[in-house]
Amino acid sequence: MRILLTSLSLILFTISLFGQDKPLPFDERGKLIYYEVIADTKTPKDSLLSRAKAFFESDVKKYKISSIKGDSLLQATGKMMISKSALGMARPMGAVDYNFYAEVKEGKYRFWLTDFVFVPYMRDRYGNFVPTTTIGTPLEREQGKLREAEWLGYQRITAREAKTLAEQFKTALTTIIYAPEAPKPKNTISTKKW
Amino acid sequence: MKLRSLLTLAALAFTTAGFAQETADAPLQISGSADAYYKYDFAKRPNIGTSFASDHNSVSLGMLDLALKKTTGKASFVGELSFGPRGQYQSLPNGDGNTSNAGNSFHIQNLYASYAFTDKFSMTAGYMGTFIGYEVIAPTGNFNYSTSYLFTNGPFQNAGIKGTYAFSDKISLMVGLFNDWNVYQDFNGVSHVGAQLMVSPVEGWTAYLNVLSGTSNGATNGTVLDLTTSYQVTEKIKVGLNAADYSVDGGGGYGGGALYLQNAFTPGFGLGLRGELFTVKSTGAGTAKDIAAVTLSGNLKSGGLTFIPEIRFDNDSNSSFLKSDGLTATKNASQFSLAIVYAF
Repeated sequence: MRILLTSLSLILFTISLFGQDKPLPFDERGKLIYYEVIADTKTPKDSLLSRAKAFFESDVKKYKISSIKGDSLLQATGKMMISKSALGMARPMGAVDYNFYAEVKEGKYRFWLTDFVFVPYMRDRYGNFVPTTTIGTPLEREQGKLREAEWLGYQRITAREAKTLAEQFKTALTTIIYAPEAPKPKNTISTKKW
Repeated sequence: MKLRSLLTLAALAFTTAGFAQETADAPLQISGSADAYYKYDFAKRPNIGTSFASDHNSVSLGMLDLALKKTTGKASFVGELSFGPRGQYQSLPNGDGNTSNAGNSFHIQNLYASYAFTDKFSMTAGYMGTFIGYEVIAPTGNFNYSTSYLFTNGPFQNAGIKGTYAFSDKISLMVGLFNDWNVYQDFNGVSHVGAQLMVSPVEGWTAYLNVLSGTSNGATNGTVLDLTTSYQVTEKIKVGLNAADYSVDGGGGYGGGALYLQNAFTPGFGLGLRGELFTVKSTGAGTAKDIAAVTLSGNLKSGGLTFIPEIRFDNDSNSSFLKSDGLTATKNASQFSLAIVYAF
């Protein structure tokens, strides 16, 4: 009986882990947003910006820098896959396109993800998942009763993915980028000299 | 003791899997669909030559479709199996041509492996859904539940080997060698050459120019030329077009065009109209005929479920349809159907 209860509690614990994602809050424009301000007194402003730039350039398939304004604001676009997954298997439901803003100042930086747009995927004739449309739907848009639960699921997965991305970004901004070492000249012996 | 151990192990495995999926590189993709329908033909008998939804006044099965995909590095495989009338004798060959296997259905819609040599070039070999045409076998890939004549008369699958080169996001070319249409095994050798040029001139507009030419076992040479294109005009409106010509040496074949207009009135409800003109070419022994068909379908969606009410009117220049007495030929036929399709 004790074993049964332990097993049950482990399963419930796992299920509760999946269920704890909360949708993102709204900004003043009524758009969903993930927003964080980080105090960092150790890193100079220009280093923060170059690290942010390096973060987006590290995966050109996932992110694209769209603009750098002055020496403090960087804007990038990105895409996150929304999948239903269980027991090591997954089913892509769609993708969420977003804008990523990072702004640096001396002693602190802030970043936010917003303008989330959901593009549903469907299986094509070859069994691959592909976008059903090129024009996505803003993630904050009301979907009506029939699609409410499904849409809330997408919002929750987006919130979880945004949080994961935020952690990766913060780690990247605390990581010192070392310039690649110049290749050492090879020791060669000239046979032209005696 | 055994039960305890199994329960604990199962719970631990479930928990571990729950965590592992967060970090897994490319998990096994599993997806599929299930569909069923009710159709009522106003001539009180099956009249219209749609590939599926063929049974009159019956709650009938479509298919259960299961697809697996796994990608490891640059290599991937897809296996898609189907069970039920739509996914067996209505769309797949039974057996491999050997008479002792004539009653065996292999259930295979897709079974192939791919390798991406570079970001731009990949090769694929196996048994694949055809690259010809607008509509597909899986009901989740079509807006209308009944199928067009262009779909019904074109190829369903092409086994073979193909290479695809993407010049950019807007243009790519596929060239391949294929078996005869819809066979697991080609008895007259790999006898067909096919190609597909994909162009996407503007955002939302994609066009495929397809050609498939060759000589099927025991038949004369034939060539399909096909244009399949769609344009997402706005968030709600989508327009599609399929035009094809199949010419066979010595006569026969088909030609036609189908226009698809779809509007999503709300996130959960859309209407789609398909208008089709289809010509069966004269073979010498058989006469040519022209068919016009109009199909209006609704798509009511909730989660993975789509409910498809549909009404269809067909007109055949050769009076190939029959009236409700089952004897009198008529040019017109109409039907109503309700289908449920669940995608997972």
